[in-house]
Amino acid sequence: MTPETIFYAIGMPIIGVLLGLVYKGIDRRVSARMTSRIGPPIRQPFWDVGKLLLKETVVPENAVRWIFNAMPILAFASSMTLLLYIPFGILRAPLEGYGDLVVILYLLTLQALAMAIGGFASGSPFSSVGAQREMVLMMSYEMPFAIVITGFALIYKSFSLSTIASTPVWSIVGPLGGLGVLLLLIAFLWVTPAELAKLPFDIAEAETEIAEGMLAEYSGRNLALFYLSDAVRGFAMIALEVVLFFPFTLSYLFGLNLSGAALYIAEGLWFLFKVLVLYILAVTLVRTSFARFRIEQASRIFWVYVNIIALLGVILIWAEVM
Amino acid sequence: MPTKAMFLMIKQMLQRPFTNPFPVKHAPKDVTSLVEKIQKGEVKIHPPVPVPEGFRGKLHYDPERCIGCRLCITVCPANAMEWIPELRKIRHYVSRCMFCALCVDVCPGKKFPGEEKAVKALSMSDEFLIADYDKYSDNLIEEPPEAKEKGI
Amino acid sequence: MAKTTYYIPVGPIHPALKEPIRVEAEVEGEKIVKVDVKRGFAHRGIEYMGMKRNAIQTLYLSERICGICSISHPYAFVIGSEKALGIEAPPRAQYIRTIIAELERIHSHILWLGVIAHEIGFDPLLFWTWKGREKVLDILEAITGNRINYAMYMIGGVRRDLKESHIKALRDMITYYWEFTEHMKEVFLSDPVYKARTRGVAQLSKEMALKLNVVGPTARAAGIRMDVRQDIPYDAYADMDVKAIVPQDIVGEARGDAYDITMVRLYEIEQSLDIIEFCLDNLPEGKILAIPNYVALLNKIKKTEGEAIGAHEAPRGEVIHYLKYDGTRDGPAVWKVIAPSYNNINSWAPLLLGAEVADIPVVVAYIDPCMCCNDRVAVVEDSSGRLLDYSYLHKKAVEKTRKLEKELGVRR
Repeated sequence: MTPETIFYAIGMPIIGVLLGLVYKGIDRRVSARMTSRIGPPIRQPFWDVGKLLLKETVVPENAVRWIFNAMPILAFASSMTLLLYIPFGILRAPLEGYGDLVVILYLLTLQALAMAIGGFASGSPFSSVGAQREMVLMMSYEMPFAIVITGFALIYKSFSLSTIASTPVWSIVGPLGGLGVLLLLIAFLWVTPAELAKLPFDIAEAETEIAEGMLAEYSGRNLALFYLSDAVRGFAMIALEVVLFFPFTLSYLFGLNLSGAALYIAEGLWFLFKVLVLYILAVTLVRTSFARFRIEQASRIFWVYVNIIALLGVILIWAEVM
Repeated sequence: MPTKAMFLMIKQMLQRPFTNPFPVKHAPKDVTSLVEKIQKGEVKIHPPVPVPEGFRGKLHYDPERCIGCRLCITVCPANAMEWIPELRKIRHYVSRCMFCALCVDVCPGKKFPGEEKAVKALSMSDEFLIADYDKYSDNLIEEPPEAKEKGI
Repeated sequence: MAKTTYYIPVGPIHPALKEPIRVEAEVEGEKIVKVDVKRGFAHRGIEYMGMKRNAIQTLYLSERICGICSISHPYAFVIGSEKALGIEAPPRAQYIRTIIAELERIHSHILWLGVIAHEIGFDPLLFWTWKGREKVLDILEAITGNRINYAMYMIGGVRRDLKESHIKALRDMITYYWEFTEHMKEVFLSDPVYKARTRGVAQLSKEMALKLNVVGPTARAAGIRMDVRQDIPYDAYADMDVKAIVPQDIVGEARGDAYDITMVRLYEIEQSLDIIEFCLDNLPEGKILAIPNYVALLNKIKKTEGEAIGAHEAPRGEVIHYLKYDGTRDGPAVWKVIAPSYNNINSWAPLLLGAEVADIPVVVAYIDPCMCCNDRVAVVEDSSGRLLDYSYLHKKAVEKTRKLEKELGVRR
């Protein structure tokens, strides 16, 4: 073990959790302003996590105890691992070379799966219905997500995220491929709220229908872990989107000639800014201006419309690459 | 897929929040110390939304004007009035009151020498911040001062 | 065989319900295969209380039957009482009563629009509609002295007069709401997700609506032209031509689903604005109380023998009060209240059968239920099914209260 590995192992989770919670705070604040409210202070998610950690963890009587307790840890661990695969701007991903886009796809799935299994294990009818919905939803949105990733693999002839991050996708595709990438972006924007379990696709946690669904029985430390993994997942998902579709660096855009620490700080801040803008557009604005779909409507949207968009994009890219 | 609601939300984001941040904008860390600071005048609170003219707030009782006709006890829907036979006056429990102001309507009042019209013993103030931990606290009982002194 | 159905209890406490009631659903996947609606969680014995008090006290008690229609029940009560007493409110009072009732309809319908948006997960619209609703509540506060529980009506008139400043504020409000309702129509009726969630959900055919005896906007959305204001007009409604708002007049056909009922409610807000405008234009001068002295009024009631029915079109449907004065006491000897939600809740079970779990909140909310208006009788059984009588329950309640007081050290 080198000192660098230890730094990444300890530093990345802390930075990831911190950023995830800050983005969640900003998201809540902006959403409140969109609805003419003042909203909570930006540090509110930190207070929430702190409060949840202080509270008693209740396990329902007819829950499968060990699965019920293990799933939050699994979800949290997978979201932490996910962070290590995402290159932050020009910073290279810590686990670069040990996995690629497909691993990211599976790590994102793992969290949703952990929540669904935890829901089934809690033995409450609301959780069971929620978990069923999550499974159906997962089967629907994973397909377009996988197609998007295939499209990128076609362009770069590689699944490696570092290769993709090094060259902006828009500079290597022609007009036809550009149109294809645009279609992929649209499909990906549809997948994002479903992947993050946000409105209009928070069907599995529908508050007014099944009382928070899978999370209905979770409390205390377990709920805090789910909360944290949700925050980290939100940040990671949008960061992935930025890396895939908007990888423009400051030096690429403006031809800045920075070097050393200044370069890293400037590029890091620029990356965080891009994530923030996309977060507000793709998550906050969408979750504020849509109602919740029914599960069979959401399924149809993903299986038919989003799939068609994504496939069309891949076909266009394929036509150009071949 | 842009919808009408989306434009509405963007429009609202550019406007000022509608919430009246009464008494303070965010929940304080320590409520007790905030209340102390407000009492000392170190912190200013946002005022509540002003009440209109004719607002029905906490009932004000003037025992001097009370003639002991018991009409208010007859009409009070919530039985918030208690008759004090020794003094021939009433005691009003604000915690039971439902702020209908019927007692104010029926109160005949009393005319002091030199006055042209009778002034009612009961009137509605515009005070509405009357929350308390104890429903029998002094703030929530309106009674003649003698009643308290004699412990009736 | 593995268990294929789940039992989902919705209520008495559930995020979809704002008041206690219980919907028990057996679901197979997402489909509801068996459903049962249980009421009776909000019984307060309010009619019994009313029969122990005098008429003025009962009038203000009736205002507390419902939290939102705080003028609908008094309206039906004063109409019934005036019929029984043989008095008539002065014209100005009648017009003021109509204005207040229509203001309440506006705020109740906007409230419902927010609630239905919340039920389908559209909280931002809830905040927006309720922000717009503040205006009418401010007006009501200025006119009556309180945002809810207006304490405005009196048997034979109203207690407060409309001032010039109120009339000006009302005209401002009407302009504001014409614009706001137009905006609401655009946002609600054109929203694709709103349409996807409400079209075809809670669909009540005309035959079914007649069979289930639903009232108010629920019946009108199914295409039945019924409205108390149109059928048996009272007060200022008699001077104008009120027509029931039905979807076939707006779009040509009535489907009776949650989307249609949204439309009906939105257009009823505009109808209310028209009525208020008419009342303001034709507001007569004069006194506002037939019998200004409350003691004289109570004496008259004490000498009156008679019975009457008062009906009013509340925002949720018709509310009916039956009153009987027996000439011995100054309050009603018999008082019976029928609230609109009582009829409308009947439609839940047939509508939920075969629907999805996701439709439960929409079906529950689309009639704008008011549970506390409903419960008139409570029957308590012990574990063996034996009925428990009043004296036994009272004894038990007193025992429990004493025990709690002792444990908590409550000062008496």
